[in-house]
Amino acid sequence: MKRSRALLLAGVAASAVLLAGCSAPADSGSAGDGSGTVRFLGPEDPATFAPVIEAFEAEHPEITIDYTQVPFDQYSSTLQQRLGAKDDTIDVYAVDQPNLSQLAAQGFLEDLSDLSDEAKAATSSAQFEINQYDGKMWALSVWNSTQMLFFNRDALAAAGVEAPTADPAARWTWEQTADAGRAAQAAGTQYGLLLEQVEAYYQLQPLAESLGGGSGIIGDDMLTVDVTNDGWVKAMDWYGDTFESGLSPRGVGGFQTAPVFIDGNVAFFVGGPWDVGRFASDASFDWGVAPMPYFEGGEVATPTGSWSWGVNTASKNKDAAREFIEFAALDPAGALTTTEATTIIPSNSEAAATYLPGLEELGGEHAAGVADLITYEIEETAVPRPVSVGYVQFESAMNTAFADIRNGSDPAARLEQATTQIQDAWKKLR
Amino acid sequence: MTASLAPSQAPAGRRRSTRRRLGPVGTSVLGAVIGLAFLIPLWWTVVNSLRPGDETFRYLNPLEWRTFFTLTPTLDNYFALLDTDLGRAILNSLFISLVTVVVGLAICATAAYGLSAFKFRGQGLLFSVIILSFLIPFDAIAIPLADMFRDWNLQNTFFGLILPGLGNGMAIFLLRTFFLAIPEELVEAARLDGLGPWGVFRRIYLPLSVPALIGAGLMLFLFQWQAYVWPLLMGTDRDHVVGPVALSNLQGQFAVDYGVLFAASVILILIPLAIIIGFQRYFIQSVSTTGLK
Amino acid sequence: MTTPTTRAGADPRARRAVRPAPPARPTRRGRRHPALIALAFLAPALVALLVLRLAPAAVALWDSLFRTSLLGGTQFVALGNYLELFGNPDFQNALLVTVVFTILINPLQVATAFLLAVLYTRKAAGSKIWRSLVILPIAVPPAVSAVIWSVIYRPDGLANGFLELFGLPAQPFLTSPQQALASIMVLLSWIGVGYWMMFLIAGINDIPRSYYEAASLDGASWWRQLWTITFPLVRRPLAFVLVADTVSNLLVFAPVQILTKGGPEGSTNLLMYDIFTRAYTLGDLNTAQAEVVILVLITLVIVALQFRLLRTED
Repeated sequence: MKRSRALLLAGVAASAVLLAGCSAPADSGSAGDGSGTVRFLGPEDPATFAPVIEAFEAEHPEITIDYTQVPFDQYSSTLQQRLGAKDDTIDVYAVDQPNLSQLAAQGFLEDLSDLSDEAKAATSSAQFEINQYDGKMWALSVWNSTQMLFFNRDALAAAGVEAPTADPAARWTWEQTADAGRAAQAAGTQYGLLLEQVEAYYQLQPLAESLGGGSGIIGDDMLTVDVTNDGWVKAMDWYGDTFESGLSPRGVGGFQTAPVFIDGNVAFFVGGPWDVGRFASDASFDWGVAPMPYFEGGEVATPTGSWSWGVNTASKNKDAAREFIEFAALDPAGALTTTEATTIIPSNSEAAATYLPGLEELGGEHAAGVADLITYEIEETAVPRPVSVGYVQFESAMNTAFADIRNGSDPAARLEQATTQIQDAWKKLR
Repeated sequence: MTASLAPSQAPAGRRRSTRRRLGPVGTSVLGAVIGLAFLIPLWWTVVNSLRPGDETFRYLNPLEWRTFFTLTPTLDNYFALLDTDLGRAILNSLFISLVTVVVGLAICATAAYGLSAFKFRGQGLLFSVIILSFLIPFDAIAIPLADMFRDWNLQNTFFGLILPGLGNGMAIFLLRTFFLAIPEELVEAARLDGLGPWGVFRRIYLPLSVPALIGAGLMLFLFQWQAYVWPLLMGTDRDHVVGPVALSNLQGQFAVDYGVLFAASVILILIPLAIIIGFQRYFIQSVSTTGLK
Repeated sequence: MTTPTTRAGADPRARRAVRPAPPARPTRRGRRHPALIALAFLAPALVALLVLRLAPAAVALWDSLFRTSLLGGTQFVALGNYLELFGNPDFQNALLVTVVFTILINPLQVATAFLLAVLYTRKAAGSKIWRSLVILPIAVPPAVSAVIWSVIYRPDGLANGFLELFGLPAQPFLTSPQQALASIMVLLSWIGVGYWMMFLIAGINDIPRSYYEAASLDGASWWRQLWTITFPLVRRPLAFVLVADTVSNLLVFAPVQILTKGGPEGSTNLLMYDIFTRAYTLGDLNTAQAEVVILVLITLVIVALQFRLLRTED
């Protein structure tokens, strides 16, 4: 390996001389004294972060933020490769919260434990806990999320079904939702129910949690799979049946689910806060928002979690980098600017209190009660994804299993298979 | 050049196709039907790039005329692209691809010439090495290669983006295939006229292999034009963003505006399309055979 | 039989046009320092391939003998990763899927490309336009072709729309373990067939028209001319297309990644997709590199077989 590299160096040195003009070495240009340029990597459109960058630079004229977008579908792997190579051209990066422990375990995140008290005060307990691994805090929560049940009021009215309300105390069950969906189908709506991220653990975990199946990962080291218990199997039996029976469509995935609701082809749609603004502008029928359902006799559980920001251990400008993430997460005014150009909930509780009424307003009369609903879910019913160094492998195997179950695989057998796959992958971690 | 190289036009009557099974009309109709069938998916894309994104899936089923046509085309999706990095990305991709084509063709054509015009010991071995080089999946070795490039400080440079496109074993294989078909008599005649190895390469091999050179050029071009994984590993900052990355950046994590996405793809398709159509006229009866008549 | 000499020799006019070489002169393939001159021409490409392909591949081969764990560190495991792979049912399935896929898709694509090339080199109205349309899909960004075909294959998508138009029952396409792989093959053929056709067109255009004229005078049918003239004389480009197409198909993964993620039931879990997920999503680089080595070996065997089958008699 050493020899081949030496050979390579010789070969490229020759060509590098020829093309030296093209290659400008990447220099971070930082002084390490809390000034200079902070390079920030994330999966969002640059326009999303323009307000927070502008606000921060106005307050800290000695620091410049240089943002680079990496496409969402390749974000985790790109990050993994570049951080693994000790790439010092990344100072701050967005952390998909369930990946945090893996990144921290590999030493890619700077320990931020000294900010624990401030962080705890600034956000909900679920959003504080999600940044903890091995007794330390590794990132600051910037965004949060939840899921709600959107419904097509016109479709329900045509079926003579009374629509649900936004009141968490009057939360529907999944059984009730499926029945109402079938009634709507009988009255002419193409589909009854559709989940936005049909094959994603984020949205399906609550089904199992509601039936007592847990997150699927247990044990002191959080490296034991537990997805074949009764709760999981029952939840997946029910889920598979929604497709088998035609209540939900097969073969529609990715980002093509929300358009099914917008086109008026489905009665119930489980989606996130980002759908509020979208439906308000694109849907031409009467729609409304209700709490995400639970199983009859089961627990109430809703998805939560979104993005935290952390500092790269290889960064040469950590002080300035910390200034920036503290501004975005801990300073309520700063946190508010992170959501100015998008519809997502700020993790900072104070910022969320200011933000949510605005979101409700954006949705107009259809979204009445959405601010209170979101606040309630985040405080009371949110169940975070498991914190485990093996989450990435777990999620990947589970999402494939969900896809198969949706297409008709036997849930119990498929979950069994997923268990083996996850165990195999985890063997390599230890 | 020798007189024997000058193309002598065969009388028009003799060039007429004499294969009669399917008449020109039948052939034309069949050709058109197949061509249009290949076009359908792209046509649908173009039509939807002219529609607001929330209407993309509205007319899917059952099929109706509005599935493939719109009476109210709008360029809004294209205007929306003005606010993105796509313009910059296309210029970058174009620069990277063109440099790759020019330098890559020079490297590949000389190599193919070295493999086909001479006979020497170890030739088979060298050819095997070239074949082996394109059996190795580039995306799979991109990770170790990226580590090397980082050691050489090539991240966020055009040099780092161009370099991997230059060594293309498949293009060498392609050119060698066509170089081998060049009649030995032509080469011998040229040599008698005093041309050295370089002269034979420049004045016989290159002019006689225009379609193959275009094919190899397109191969080199598309490698870079569609490069996605490698630019991400090399860290595309905003100054070095390339087309496919800018395209993927249009897909947010919560929603995709398919109208804008399709508009961007139409623009990304236009440049290769211009190249393919532009070079069609070179895909004629090759000089290498007409020259023999 | 496809060597330039025989070809030119078969054409009486060619003989007349070219001055016969004096027997004493060395032929072009045996000159004074052929190896040195050839190496000079080959040097830039060899350096590029060595640095950009073979060296990282060597690193990959080396890495495949180690295991790096998140919590444990790196250790030498010799062939441990390989043994583990061959004992893994998912990997066995991926191998099987890859072999079935390779056996089916390559002959189909090459045959289609050849027939299309024959069609579009015949004298016909607008054939340059129509064949450009067939070549065009290669220019579509892979991410977008996957989106387009996801819409075609949706249960309420364009494909079922057309089937309905012809009174045929709707099909599940990508959601069925029986149809998913075939659906992916159709998609890949839409992308690739025109591209490979292009090289065959270049090859067919190299065939002197006089051959066909002579055959027509002898009363040979169109079909006979196709088999006795066109097919043998494009053998070399055909060999290139077969090999290059096979390799390209073994290395494809983007549509699988976007459309099926290897499912349903692992029915589209091609080796290259498995490698990509393992390396980039799961971060298990060592095992992924072992898979790369296996994939390259498989490709090598198939390509060697193809070369043997297609070797010209000379």
